[in-house]
Order: sequence, then C-alpha cells, then structure tokens
Amino acid sequence: MSSAESKTAKTLAALDAAQAQPVTALFAEVRARFDAEAAAAHDEASWKLFRDAWLGRKSGVLTQITDNWLKPASPELKRAVGAALNDLRAHVEAQIEARRAALEGAAEESALARERVDLSLPGVVRPAGSRHIIRQVFEEIERIFLQIGFSVAEGPEIETPYYNFEALNIPEFHPVRDDMDTFYLDLPKGAPGQLLLRTHTSPVQIRTMEKQTPPVRVIVPGKVYRRDNPDATHSFMFHQVEGLAVDTDITFCDFTGTIEYFVHEFFGPGVKTRFRPSYFPFTEPSVEFDASCIFCGGRGTAAGGGTCSKCKGAGWIELFGAGMVDPAVYGFVNYDAAKVSGFAFGIGIDRLAMLKYGIDDIQVLFQNDVRFLRQFP
Amino acid sequence: MKVVYNWLKEFVELTAPAEEAASRLALSGTNIGGLEQGAQGAVIEAELTTNRPDCLGHYGLARELSAIYRLPLKGVAPKPAESAAKAAEAVRVEIQSPELCGRFTARVIRGVKIQPSPAWLRERLEAAGVASINNVVDATNYVMLELGHALHAFDYDLVRDHRIVVRQAKPGEKMKTLDGLERQLTPGMCMICDGDGTRAVGIGGIMGGAETEISFSTKNVLIECAWFEPVAIRRATRFLRLYTEASTRFGRGADPELAELASRRCAELILQLAGGELLAGVVDAYPGKRAPKKIALHRREFLRIMGADVADKEIEAILGALGFAPVRADAQRGAAGSLLAAWECTQPSWRGEVEREIDLIEEVARIRGLDKFPPRFPVARKAAARLPHADAEERLRERLMGLGYREIVTIPHVAEERNELFRPADAAPARLANPLSEEAGVLRSTAAVSMAAALEWNLNHGQRSARLFEIGRHYRLEGHQSVETRVLALGATGEAREKDIYDAARAYSFADLKGDLDAAGAFAGGFRWQADGAAWLHPARCGRVFLGAQELGAAGQLARRVAERLKLRQDVFLAELRLDPFYAAMRAARDARRFAPLPRFPAVERDFSLLLADGTPFAEVARVIQSLGIAEAGAVEAGDLFRGKNVPAGKYSLLVRVLFQSATGTLTDAQIADFSGKIVAALEQQLGAQLRAG
Repeated sequence: MSSAESKTAKTLAALDAAQAQPVTALFAEVRARFDAEAAAAHDEASWKLFRDAWLGRKSGVLTQITDNWLKPASPELKRAVGAALNDLRAHVEAQIEARRAALEGAAEESALARERVDLSLPGVVRPAGSRHIIRQVFEEIERIFLQIGFSVAEGPEIETPYYNFEALNIPEFHPVRDDMDTFYLDLPKGAPGQLLLRTHTSPVQIRTMEKQTPPVRVIVPGKVYRRDNPDATHSFMFHQVEGLAVDTDITFCDFTGTIEYFVHEFFGPGVKTRFRPSYFPFTEPSVEFDASCIFCGGRGTAAGGGTCSKCKGAGWIELFGAGMVDPAVYGFVNYDAAKVSGFAFGIGIDRLAMLKYGIDDIQVLFQNDVRFLRQFP
Repeated sequence: MKVVYNWLKEFVELTAPAEEAASRLALSGTNIGGLEQGAQGAVIEAELTTNRPDCLGHYGLARELSAIYRLPLKGVAPKPAESAAKAAEAVRVEIQSPELCGRFTARVIRGVKIQPSPAWLRERLEAAGVASINNVVDATNYVMLELGHALHAFDYDLVRDHRIVVRQAKPGEKMKTLDGLERQLTPGMCMICDGDGTRAVGIGGIMGGAETEISFSTKNVLIECAWFEPVAIRRATRFLRLYTEASTRFGRGADPELAELASRRCAELILQLAGGELLAGVVDAYPGKRAPKKIALHRREFLRIMGADVADKEIEAILGALGFAPVRADAQRGAAGSLLAAWECTQPSWRGEVEREIDLIEEVARIRGLDKFPPRFPVARKAAARLPHADAEERLRERLMGLGYREIVTIPHVAEERNELFRPADAAPARLANPLSEEAGVLRSTAAVSMAAALEWNLNHGQRSARLFEIGRHYRLEGHQSVETRVLALGATGEAREKDIYDAARAYSFADLKGDLDAAGAFAGGFRWQADGAAWLHPARCGRVFLGAQELGAAGQLARRVAERLKLRQDVFLAELRLDPFYAAMRAARDARRFAPLPRFPAVERDFSLLLADGTPFAEVARVIQSLGIAEAGAVEAGDLFRGKNVPAGKYSLLVRVLFQSATGTLTDAQIADFSGKIVAALEQQLGAQLRAG
C-alpha cells in the first residue's frame, strides 16, 4: 500500500496538515497516484476496478477524502479542501470517462481486426451449370436470324430418301450422293421403303415448304450424319443450321446481303466476305461462302511471322455452301418457280465453333469431359 | 485434277501468271486446292464439281479461261495421214444396247512399235499425276487429260473376228479387268465384247479387260473412243466399287460429239509416237446422236433471280466464249439494254447439264463475277417465331444450369450390347444397316445409355464429380416407322457438395436427384412420384415420375448390375423424362397460374414427433392430416427422420411440422390445441402412430 493511498484513510489532523500548503501537496500526491493508476487500466475489467477504487460510493478514494479530509477539516481549511477535492473529482471523472472511451475504441478495433473477412479466400462455391458450346452457337445464330425475320423450324433426323435426296433434286445415282456417305436403317422385312439418317438439314426445307406458302423464312438447327471415319476433323454426327428464304422478290443480291449481315454479326464487322461459284443440286446459282481469316485478319501470315495455320496462308476461310433455290426443288413442293425465288444455306456449326474457339479436335465436343464443359460457362 | 499451266497455254494465249489465273478460276467456279511449281512449270490442283465433266481435261479449263480473260480459244483439228486401206474393212462394231452406249468409234493403226514414251510425254503425264506405261497407252491418257474424253486401246490382233459387240452383262457373268481382278457383273452394265459377243473384253466406260491389253508385242492397235450413259456408269461403279479416270468422266456425263475428235487426236499422237499406218476413216456407231438443245435467256428472268443487270455485250461475250452461240431473239432486237431482251442459245455438246434458263443465268453470273452483284438487305414480311417449345425448353435449361448441371451433346450411335442394358422390352431398337463399327451399331433406344457413357468417360478421366444433363432424342422403331422422342436425361455422380473451409463434403444421393427434378417439375405444377422404376435402376432407390396420370419417365440410382457391366466404381444417378408432355404441362401451368393473396394473419407452426412403423410413407401422414378437413391447416412438412438409438426396431421417428393459418383472424392457443388433438388422434387411430414425448 503506497503512502499516498494510506494517507486518504487518515484525517488531515492525523497527517499533520493544518495548513493550506501541506493540503495542496497532499492533493497533488493523490492526483499523481490517480494518473499513474489510470495508465495501468488497460482493459474493461481493470478499468472497472480502477473506477470503483476511485469513485466507489463506499470506499472509493474520493469518498475517503470526503469522509476523512473534508468532513473533519477545520473551518479555516474546509474551503480549500473542498475546492481541491472538486478539482480532483473533475479530473478523476473526466479521466475515467476518457479512459473508458479509449478502451472501447481499442476493443472495437481489435474486434474488427479479428472479424475482418479475408478477401483472398474463396466464397462458398456452389455447383455451376453450363450450356454446351454447340447449343451456345445455335442460340447465337438463332438470335441473329430471328432479328431479321427467320423463324425456327425442325425436322426428323431419321429421314426418307425422298426428303433427304430426291426432293432436293438429287436422284438416285447422282454423283453428289457419293460425297454424302449415308447411314441406312435396318428395317424389318416388308418395309415399304428405306429410312436413313439425314446427311444434311436440307430435308426440312422441303418439309417446311410442303406445310406453308411463301413468304418462307426459316432456319433449322439440328444434328446430321455422314458415314465418315472419325478423326480430328470428322465426326459421323455433326450439326448444321439450314436456312431458307422464299418469296416473290428475293434475288441473289438479297441472299448475299443476308449472309454478310450474319457473318458481321457473328464474327464482327471487320470481316470481309467472298462468294465463289460452286455446285449443289438443290441450289442454282450455287456458291461456297468464304470469310476473311479471323485469325490473321486475311493477311495469310501468322502474327509471329510464317503462314497462318488456320487459313493455310489463303487469307480466306471456307465457311459454308449456299445458293439460290434451284427451280427444280419448287416442283416438289408445288411452288410456282416462275413466280417465287429464294435462297438456302447450310452452316456447319461444329466447324464454326471450332474456328471461333480454337478447338483442334472435333471429338472433344462430344466426349463431354467436364474439364471441357467448364471452359464454356 | 492436276492442271499443267503451260498445257493450257497451248489453247489460250494466257499472259497472266499462274497464281492469278488460278484465283480467277476459283472465283468463277473451279475450286482450287493448291498450286505448285515443278519441272513442267506451275501445276494447279483443280477440284472440279461433279457438274463439270467438261473441265476434266485441259481444253475445258482453257475454255473457262478464254471466257474469263476474253481471249480466243484455239481449235483442235488433228489431220493424221491415212492409208488407202479402210478401217471399215478391218473392224466391225455392233451396239446391241444403245441405252447404255450412245456412240462407239473405232480406228485401227497397223504396224506400231510399242516402246517407252519420249521424255516430254512422260514428264507431262507425270506432272499431271499419271504414270507412263508405253507410248500407245500414254497417247490415250494424254488425249484424256487434254480433251477430257477417256479412250481405250486394244491389241487389235487379240480382238476375235476383229469385231466389237456392245451389250449388257449377263446374269452371273464374270471377267478379268486390266488390274488383274475378276469382276462379278450384273445386267445393266455395259460390256464391250468381241467375236460373236460372248467374250467380254472390257467394262464399257470403266475399265478394259486383261485379255486384249496392249503389250510390248502388240503390232496393231484398235482405238476405242465411245460414249456411255452416265447413270448406268455410276450404278456400275458403285456396284463394283471400281472408280477410274474413265468412270469419273463418263459417270459425270462426257461429250458424245467429242468421241470422234478425241479418237482422231489419239491416232495422230500414236502415229507420231509409235509409227505405223492409220487405216482410212472411222467406224462410228452413233445411235445416241441428239439434236442440239435450244435454251432461251431473258433479261427479265436474269434480273428476277440475280437482282442486278449485266450489259448485252457482256452476256453475249460470256455465253459466246463458253460455246452457247447466243442470238438475240426478241422483238426489240438491237435495242441495247432492253428489259425485254432475250437470247436463243444452243447447248454445246460438252455441257449436257446446261438445259434450263437458270443454268444460263448461272453461267453469265459466275463468269461476270459474283462480287458484281451488290449485297442488299431483304425486308421481312412476317414476324419470326421460335419453336413452339423453345420457351419451355429454355426455362428448363436455365433451371437445370442453376442447379449446377452442365449440358452435354452426344452422338446417338451406341453399341447394341449397351443399348440392351437400358432398352425397355417393348421398344424396338433402330439398328443401322451399315454401321461404321459394332460400337456404333444402333441408335440409342434411351438417352440414359448415353448419359451413363458420359459419366463413365468422366470417371475414367479422373473427374469424380459431375452433374450433367442432355436435351436430346431417343430413337425407336414402331413397325416400319421410326419414332424420335424428345427427352431430358440427367446424370450425376460424386459429391453433391465438395469439402471446403466452410462445409463438410456430402455425397450426391437420390434425394439430390429427386429435389432437382422437383425443382424443374415445379414449372409444370409439380411431379408425382410413384414407386418402381426402369429395369436399369436400383430397385430400392428409384421412382417413376408422373405429371397427373401421364408417366414421363424414371429416376434413381443406376442398378448395380448395370454399373458393374460399365465398370463404374461409384454410385451413379440417372433420370430420363419425356419432354413433349412436360413442355405442354409447363405451358398449361403458366397459363393457369393466378396470384394468391398474401396472408394477413400470422401463421403458427406445430411439430409432431411421431413413431411410425417402417414402410409407412410420409405421404400417408400428410394425407391423414389433410383428410381431417381443417381449413386452417396449411403445409405439412417432414422435419427430421431417424432410426435406431431410442427408436424400437421396426419403427422410425418422424418429425412432422404443420403450419396453421387463418384468413380471418389470429389463431388462439385453444384453437391450435384443438387442431393438434384431432391430428394426433387421427394419426394414432389410422396409422398406429405414437406421439413421442417432447
């Protein structure tokens, strides 16, 4: 027990302080003791003890001073002791409050430091789904063509030779049939005709025109099949989007304009387009459609020098076949070839997706490895 | 076809570099595969479309270039010296099948000396990709590459009676072709025979026979230059699987008029290369001679199809250069640029496929250049519509993706053996008649078989957790008809929740599958589940999924038997649902949906901790409670379920939570106590349930 503490338990008389000067010194001593203890109150518990030691009603230092120093003080000293006590009380109360505020602030700060989230940790990861890349390309193409009035149609994948070939002006033994190696179904004996897996989405042209009169504007997304041995660029199942527009006033210029619009929407406005005459039995004039190589910008040279591997230096990438609907086709659907005209195209989707995303093996599209699926959220 | 650029220059005085000419050819319809420089100069790889047999020779491509560059095309007019003796006295030709062979010409050269060809010829043939054999055979190949017409040379002395008979093959007939193989023949094939016509010495338009082949001992040569019906050739080549330079040319449609000229050109070359004496004249059986076809081109039609005009002079120059001999044939004759202008054209014998006005339009357009027709944007006249089910499909897809499923796309060809693991007994499989392999021999009867394969792939590639879905079709036969059904397949394996710093791991279970399907089913008013499932599902962990009375499919854990066959070492969950009825119900549910006013008075929950006999389903509990007709009783939920510990064997503990709510006022404790009493009594009475303490 320090001397200053024990002193407040005694009367001034006992302390031999009958004069104002020793009283002032006593108060200074008490104040110094208070200041020293205040610094030691470092948390809420020690602060409370400290507060009670000084301000406690029954035995707090200030109560002791009131009881032991002020009350028994001689009338000549009472005023001075009272004034000094008031000063001390004001100081003690202010300091205890300030100490409380300081402690609270510090506590809050340490609590925040404890509770602060670590932004470098991952959040709760919920399983995420995704669309297949082929579906994504289908949807993008559908969106592009819906905007210019093309409806979406579909048709069976198992077809008759009539819809897959004959009605598209490809009679039996037509040389083009050699290029479209076809899967046939093994039907029970007595079947009235053959069934095959469609080699293109073009049969839906016929099915659509059979059902409606011009104007016709449809696109047909779907699976198609050709009996090719699988490798990095061939799959015996792949995807096409067929397009068909027939009306009383559609010309070749409308056709090229539509295709250009599509390519600019799909690949970007900087892509140049080119139409090369070609041959398909169900279009005439027929074209192969090329776009300037999106990888080398049509220059034919790769960024780091050397030949562009995508277009093999040509500067152009062959995209798909198309053309004006051959008038012979109208004969199969009872359209008047003298009154209507139109165009058709067949876009290979897998190739387009592979080109756009740099996929070098078509097989990976259909293995459905989640590490592949994850790459196209 | 390999095109030697210098060869083209023999017919057109081209000054453009080969690269430029190749690019002009590409932009006028001859696809160019590449260009290489060699000892013979530039060689262009031309990929001809099947409609252009006339370009399967250098002269045809020279004609294209003469039209493109507007340069004159030189004629081919060989005049080989002839002896006094007449060919007609040395050989006789009889065509018994004019429907297969429209023309057969024969020339005879006596006293040739068969020897290797000179260097210039060998090199040129090699540049064009043809191996040199001997001077006479090389001469026939040279003419084929030059003029595009295939010829055949016989050893004249081996042709019996010096007589050629052209007839159909007989049933069961066989012959040995030049390549040494014995060929099985069928009627409809055109046979070149000798003598009395019994012995075949060649399959017309496809390949000659071994017995009359030119050899180094050959002295006298018979040159065949004929024309064969293209469809019959294609039929025969496909049957024989025998594709030759000759069959390609005749199969696409050769020029019958060219036959005599090509024969004469060949004779000229043989005399030059092998010496000998050409007998005078040609033996020419030509039953298929046709008058040239007239085709009209109208400017109005050209504009209707192409949308932009081409000047009179250019139309005439293009068609003229290509051999169509256009003549103005309209009343406005001479009025340049008249909208009513019309031209009468004559089909050249080498362009059999050009028969209609549209064909002429294409000829003008492709030589003029397709870039000369300015792109324009057509106006739509009708609102565009998506597929009727597009909206429902998209909502379903979004929901499944939200639940963490990734979409897959599969090839529907599967192995029969696998298909059988999943195929319902009453579904006839759609087998392929000509599969590429047994592994892909049948179109899947279910989508589940493909989904199982996708999970298998991932497990075999170290991907232990996967949630996948496919919106596709399955394929079956009904009688002679095929049926394609739109289906959804769901597949999952591994962990429903991966262990991380916040949560423990949890394995994917039947409850995940059911919950996810129900989340989708909510769009259609909710699925109804019924015990049992498909044979490919685990008998205790499966269910059939209904919408109302209509069964959509089944869901559950893959049966152990199937999982073992597929060597899957962890639990796999699969579902397959038919989509068309689901989509229809989604649309109906959306149309029928009406707003329910939000409750104004508080709801009160009461928990009932029940002991129930095993096998008493939760649905029974809910039914008993609902059957009490307490209007204030709302949702009945299962809160907790456990067995063991303090629960006697044969029983299980189920915590049932009932929500009470009134539309007209706040419920009092007395009311709740009354409802609870009724519920407990009913459960005790009807299900033998015991209320557990607490």
